[in-house]
Amino acid sequence: MPLDHRRLRGPEESQPPALWASAAAEDEEDEEGAGAAPRDPCALRPLFARAGLLSQAQGSAYVELGSGTKVLCAAWGPREAAEPGPGRLICEFRRAPAVRLGRYPRARLAVSALLLQDGGSALAAAVSAAALALADAGVEMYDLAVGCALCRPPAPAASWMLQPAEPEERRAAARLTLALLPALNQVSAVLGGGRGGPPEDWAQALRLGLDGCHRQYPVLRQSLLRAAQRRDAAAAA
Amino acid sequence: MASVMLSEAEKLYIVHGVQEDLRVDGRGCEDYRCAEVETDVVSNTSGSARVKLGETDILVGIKAEMGTPKLEKPDEGYLEFFVDCSSNSPELEGRGGEELGTDIANTLYRVFSCENSVDLKSLCINPKEHCWVLYVDVLLLECGGNIFDAISIAVKAALFNTRIPKVRVLEDEEGTKEIELSDDPYDCIRLSVDEVPCIVTLSKIGYRHVVDATLQEEACSLASLLISVTSKGAITSMKKVGKGSLDPESIFEMMETGQRVGKSLHIALQKILDEEENLGTSRPKVGFLG
Repeated sequence: MPLDHRRLRGPEESQPPALWASAAAEDEEDEEGAGAAPRDPCALRPLFARAGLLSQAQGSAYVELGSGTKVLCAAWGPREAAEPGPGRLICEFRRAPAVRLGRYPRARLAVSALLLQDGGSALAAAVSAAALALADAGVEMYDLAVGCALCRPPAPAASWMLQPAEPEERRAAARLTLALLPALNQVSAVLGGGRGGPPEDWAQALRLGLDGCHRQYPVLRQSLLRAAQRRDAAAAA
Repeated sequence: MASVMLSEAEKLYIVHGVQEDLRVDGRGCEDYRCAEVETDVVSNTSGSARVKLGETDILVGIKAEMGTPKLEKPDEGYLEFFVDCSSNSPELEGRGGEELGTDIANTLYRVFSCENSVDLKSLCINPKEHCWVLYVDVLLLECGGNIFDAISIAVKAALFNTRIPKVRVLEDEEGTKEIELSDDPYDCIRLSVDEVPCIVTLSKIGYRHVVDATLQEEACSLASLLISVTSKGAITSMKKVGKGSLDPESIFEMMETGQRVGKSLHIALQKILDEEENLGTSRPKVGFLG
């Protein structure tokens, strides 16, 4: 794996203690999981989103999923760039179709996302947070990108589940993350891997993911509205 | 990626042609360019392959070395990918080439992350202590469009060609283990490449999608879908690239096409690899000067 030099790791010989945990503890966990009622695969975890938290950044957003994933995202821009040509959006996961880059020639928009806690579906939460942060910064966009993650457990002929939590994600045989622009019904990004099987299974997973994105969209729009109202109230006061 | 400058008229010409299932070089939307695959081109590697897909030229070398297994998977070996694009063009030297190289390497890691692509358990020598690590080095000699497909074909051919020496573990009375290499240089283990996936890139041009896009066609396409397909037609990974967005219906169509094209690609590749194998030492070697 390409090394991440910005992280401080432990000494070379260190090993995570979880590896040495006795196998008995793992069996217990499995039993518990099987004993609990099977999760409704279409249930979406509760989503909390808030825009406009950081005063230093031009736009910011915080998204928290019910399973404990917390993502904080900040957006800066547009700034003058040395290269001529249409504006560039610097970020890892492409949401570029959502942003009207044509309106910002020779500009650079920087988005940075910080994952505070990974409780599963981190990339999807980061996508939604980044879209909210850009919108909060006042960058012109075609639509808000909403991210959704799915995974499929290793059991044969298992069905896809929306927004998995961390233990489910770790045991998953296949994962899929997608970003959708709901108002335009266009998919702006897809990233998936694992033992998925024939295309029909992936198609079914995509449809489930699209549905999940549509359901999350109103929550994100509400948070933007509330942030704008808060800003107006603060400016008036 | 190295890109060409196209005028608006040229782009329109390509887009209109694709609508009629006719591409600039006369191919249909689902046809690959003429490909040449040759294995065992580099003598000091465990396995190597060179693929020429139209203008795109890729060289893959695999070296098998002994290492310690990863902590989470103590009874399996693993693969490490490294991609080098600096020889390609001036804009890809230094930082630019590094970015593209990391991007390709990450895609390869994801494609091979599926557990049963390569039989990693056969790479284990001593659980928790020794295992074979396959270092896969990909060299981009020339970029003529559709590098992901060419790279995945080359990696599969190189894996088929890889010969890992057989080792025996000897344990003496005190319990110390010694690894002994077998004396016969031809005594080696081969990897099964039946489940190794190949990447099929489908680029969306206008309302249709094309397979194996040239540099000019890539300049006209706003979005592409990279799908990795195994020989049995199972899709193991999927990634969208490009700055445009895709309609969900297009994605479904692209997946169907990708599966169909991927299966026939695997059949053709396996035929060539088996033919090369059967010719054995009497195979005429073309190498780099041909």
